[in-house]
Amino acid sequence: MNAIFYKEWIKTRGYLLLAFVTTLGFAGYAMLRLNRVVGLKGAEHLWEVMLARDTVFVEMLEYIPLLAGVLLALVQFVPEMHRKCLKLTLHLPYPQLRMVNLMLCFGLLSLLLCFVANYILMFSYLQAVLATELYARVLLTALPWYLAGFAAYLLISWVCIEPTWKWRVLNLLISVLLLRIFFLSPAPEAYNAFLPWLALYTLLTASLSWLSIARFKAGIQD
Amino acid sequence: MEKIIECKNLTHYYGKRLIYENLSFSVPKGSIMGLLGKNGTGKTTTINILSGYLQPREGECRIFGEDIRQMKPSTRRNIGLLIEGHVQYQFMTIREIEKFYSAFYPGQWRKEAYYELMDKLKVAPGQRISRMSCGQRSQVALGLILAQNPDLLVLDDFSLGLDPGYRRLFVDYLRDYARSENKTVFLTSHIIQDMERLVDDCIIMDYGRILIQQPVRQLLDTLHRYTCGLPESCKELPLDADFYHPSILRNKLETFSFLSPKEVETRLKATQVPYTDLKCETLTLEDAFIGLTGKY
Repeated sequence: MNAIFYKEWIKTRGYLLLAFVTTLGFAGYAMLRLNRVVGLKGAEHLWEVMLARDTVFVEMLEYIPLLAGVLLALVQFVPEMHRKCLKLTLHLPYPQLRMVNLMLCFGLLSLLLCFVANYILMFSYLQAVLATELYARVLLTALPWYLAGFAAYLLISWVCIEPTWKWRVLNLLISVLLLRIFFLSPAPEAYNAFLPWLALYTLLTASLSWLSIARFKAGIQD
Repeated sequence: MEKIIECKNLTHYYGKRLIYENLSFSVPKGSIMGLLGKNGTGKTTTINILSGYLQPREGECRIFGEDIRQMKPSTRRNIGLLIEGHVQYQFMTIREIEKFYSAFYPGQWRKEAYYELMDKLKVAPGQRISRMSCGQRSQVALGLILAQNPDLLVLDDFSLGLDPGYRRLFVDYLRDYARSENKTVFLTSHIIQDMERLVDDCIIMDYGRILIQQPVRQLLDTLHRYTCGLPESCKELPLDADFYHPSILRNKLETFSFLSPKEVETRLKATQVPYTDLKCETLTLEDAFIGLTGKY
């Protein structure tokens, strides 16, 4: 497992640092904007606007985790498909399914680390200026966006590993439709009741990569 | 003798194009088997099937007695695979790639074999593979296989990108290594002179079938090139299938055959075409390959 993680780390370390800094930068910027409102008009005004206008002040983060997930999948799996390097990976004396799962696991853990850092930053600031219900509202509203980041990572991995371009395009279209589910409602906390199912749905997308692996192993090509 | 590779009745198509039908062959333990064929005859297809990355339309392949489609990871440990184009992880450096692979082969990894080769490359251990020349990358891929120290080496177009000196060095090294450690090697190459120095047995493939499978020595002892002069009026000679690719150029017939000189003489006489100066020549493996498969 260490060796597999070592390879994935070599591939992604540059990008992971960039993703970590960038996503934290965006979350930090969103908090700075909130801080400016609090500074100018007071925390009470912030509470009032949040309740009256159905806003959470972190809307700018909506597509950031999605983008982080898509780019991680590309950085991790495009080199594997370049000149069919994946053959080398699957030829290693290690169970193939476990190998692919560990590669995905590395990506998910990296994203988790990145997203948890975002949440810690947001939580640290928000709990200082907002009531529990209000900062929970912000964090819960953002949760589907972060779940979309994981799902985007898993779905784009599925697209990348697919050996034929025709199916890649088809898989990409399906992925877009599947990801649309995370952005159906702009209302804060619209997904609250649905969050456990959304998390399960995100995890299930991991199994799609194995379909591409099976097609790759069967030698299907354009 | 124990069969390390055994393929039975392989049939494969790409779309509607038949690559080959009912292809069967086996590779005994300790032998160096070369797969020869023109472009598009299915050499890489065979390697892909053998390495488990292509499901043949029909037939089965076994390596170490195991069906390649359900091969256990422990069996893969003993197969060194060189993919066409000497593909390796280009995002790694010389040191990183060695560290990565060594973790998968505890107890059998020969670090010194890899670094011995890398020293000859005159590149820094921290150099990224993507920034190396094609030939240097080939040597990294070959060095990793030698460090893996597997019982079976499957090498697809192993001489690609290697300069003549290193090619010779590698062929000699591989031959001595395989013979002294009783390794089995199955390989393809476009450079047939290399094969002659290296392989014990060869399979020559034509479009859709195996033309011949036999020890190289036997092939070179029995296949001959025959040439003779013909009258100017003779543009074609009615020769049977025992004569491979007969061609007439400037009143001179050239053909290849496993028949003895005496038998060739008898067959030529039977055509009732007056011929002169019949010559029988021994062949190199490259000549034999061209003789059997034709120039075009």
